Amino acid sequence: MNTHFRSRTARGVAVVSALALTLTACGREGDGGGEGGASASPGITDESVTLGITTPLSGATAGPGTCTVAGVKAYFGAKNAEGGVEFGDGKTRTVDIRALDDTYDPQQAKANYDQLKNEVFAMTAGLGTPTNRAWRDAAIADEVPQVLVMTGDPLFSDTDESPWQLGFVPIYQNEGEAFGELLASSTEEHKVAILSQNDDYGEGYVEGFKSAIEGADNIEVVEELTYEATDTSVDAQLTELANSGADVFFNAMSVTPLMISALQKAQQLNWKPSWFLPSNTSSPGAILEPGGAAAYPGIYSVSFAKAPASPAFAQDEDVQAYLAALKEHGDYQDPPAFPHCQWSWMVGATLEQAFAEMTEPTRENFMEALRGIEGFQAPLMLEGTSVTTSEDGQPAVSTLNVQKFNGKGYDTVESFG
Amino acid sequence: MGTFIQLVVDGLSTGSVYAAIALAIVLVHQATGLINFAQGGMAVLAAYFAWWLTNQGLPLIVAILLSIVFSFALGAVVERWLMRRFERGDPDTAVVATIGLLTLITGIAGWLWTYNNQQFPSLFPLDTVSFLGVSVSIRSIGTTAVIVVAMILLQALFVGTKLGLALRAVAINPQSAAFSGLPVGRLLMVGWGLAAVLGAVAGALVAPQLTLTPGMLDNALVYALAAVILGGLTSPVGVVVAAWIIGVLENLAAVYVPFIGYDLKVAVPFILLFVVLIVRPQGLFGRKTVVRV
Repeated sequence: MNTHFRSRTARGVAVVSALALTLTACGREGDGGGEGGASASPGITDESVTLGITTPLSGATAGPGTCTVAGVKAYFGAKNAEGGVEFGDGKTRTVDIRALDDTYDPQQAKANYDQLKNEVFAMTAGLGTPTNRAWRDAAIADEVPQVLVMTGDPLFSDTDESPWQLGFVPIYQNEGEAFGELLASSTEEHKVAILSQNDDYGEGYVEGFKSAIEGADNIEVVEELTYEATDTSVDAQLTELANSGADVFFNAMSVTPLMISALQKAQQLNWKPSWFLPSNTSSPGAILEPGGAAAYPGIYSVSFAKAPASPAFAQDEDVQAYLAALKEHGDYQDPPAFPHCQWSWMVGATLEQAFAEMTEPTRENFMEALRGIEGFQAPLMLEGTSVTTSEDGQPAVSTLNVQKFNGKGYDTVESFG
Repeated sequence: MGTFIQLVVDGLSTGSVYAAIALAIVLVHQATGLINFAQGGMAVLAAYFAWWLTNQGLPLIVAILLSIVFSFALGAVVERWLMRRFERGDPDTAVVATIGLLTLITGIAGWLWTYNNQQFPSLFPLDTVSFLGVSVSIRSIGTTAVIVVAMILLQALFVGTKLGLALRAVAINPQSAAFSGLPVGRLLMVGWGLAAVLGAVAGALVAPQLTLTPGMLDNALVYALAAVILGGLTSPVGVVVAAWIIGVLENLAAVYVPFIGYDLKVAVPFILLFVVLIVRPQGLFGRKTVVRV
């Protein structure tokens, strides 16, 4: 027993020392990679650059999470097959992606970051507010870029607070505001019922929405309730909201099954308002169809990406190239049910823009190049939306089109009704 | 008044979901003296199996019946080849083993079918019927009816049949049961198989509403356990009533008790649980355990 214990301890010590040696070796390699000029940052050589992603690949958020890897992997997979990406320093590099699963668990996300930080050049594209927040401080301290991440949290777009960060998707407030503006411009009077998730996500949407309808005499918020992200049913809330007699329902909900059952429940209560849905819970195939959304006078959402399932874009060149690459290089066989696949593809295109402006293989230089993009219409972006990274307080994409469900996909609309 | 009745009806429908899992837990407990935390996970696996069969082109009802057969076998196999080793040991060890089983099954389901939400077709239409100004979906009525039938069958099994008596004998004193000629091992397998069947029914009823994911029943499991304790571990009728009470109280407290609201309503069933256990440790409908000295 005792010797067994000792031998186990000894083995443990051996493993730890071996690990330490490997880590030191890795560190050296990273430091010595550069030739002339500034010495290269870890994760980049003259031939290749490695990007890291931590995102949920299992658990409840795995559907969107898997997409955040698939899109960018497909984008650079296609580029690598053509020889690589041209950088501003004249070299052509292939782009490798290392993705780890954090199951939407903040602690695991931080552990993944620690595992990746010395071997990747930059972290990107990962999904989730609590998970991205978990290693934000560490990334700032280590001076590792945490860019074009999929969170609507405004913190990531504040340059003073987050010098090594940049969010990709519109912040929650942008989305709420876009819908509020559309509603305020309506020529009719509207009563609005609000249901929101009891966290920063829900609060951000409501804040943006309310700021846009402030002073609009034709809009009245008649009832406002919340729910918890862990709830299995919101039937009681819907019963109460249906009683308010509202003709517009602003539902800031991030949970797919709850959104489906909400769409079904309101119909059963014979309450048929116009709905506003956040961009990440408005998928026609995964949510609206099973929810029976056709019963409502209008389902509105916001978007900046072309929906590949929509007949309007079936022949679109961007869409076809994207779907082909997703299959061949992204390990993603089905047509994507979540917009995160498209967003992640745009992240790839945006990174390529930054790489083209990089004159030195360093993280500092990369951040500078990344913050200099203006009005770039990435592939798959809708008319009227673009990537602009130079505006403090705003994510890379802050422009949105309000869209209305047409029974299959979405059409951009200019007015409510 | 309309709102009040609607909230009660909605609560009963949510409670029926908890009741389905709770019944399966009671069945295993009656047969083996264990609480099986993997009950929800096994139900999800059965639902995936049925879903997979419908994707192969089988009609829904056939797929569900096949998944019920599959579940009986799965339950029996899990008992014989996995749980048997823990049943005679420390009960705590066995409980931990079932929690491990839950994690394992969730992982396997995710690995086979991904963690994406899958649409599971419903046995009942989405239509509603109205009475007293309240709308009730056919699905809720159907779910509740199936649960009530399952509850009656289970009560009858335990109280009115030889098999039920044998199952209870094995749970209470396996050694004496063996001495009196009961095939203890086979009875244990039957108990687990029947519980898995009940889980499969529950999974098929709930999956259309929650959409099929590996963790679909994790939250429901917590409430089901509360219902099991509240209703009393020995009484199928008790746990169903307790599950309904939980569903209804949760809804009413959120709407009519301002300081609870929708944010604190998750705690309501557990506060109730503590109060009941202090007053009646055996639960609302449970039998007191009597030890002869």
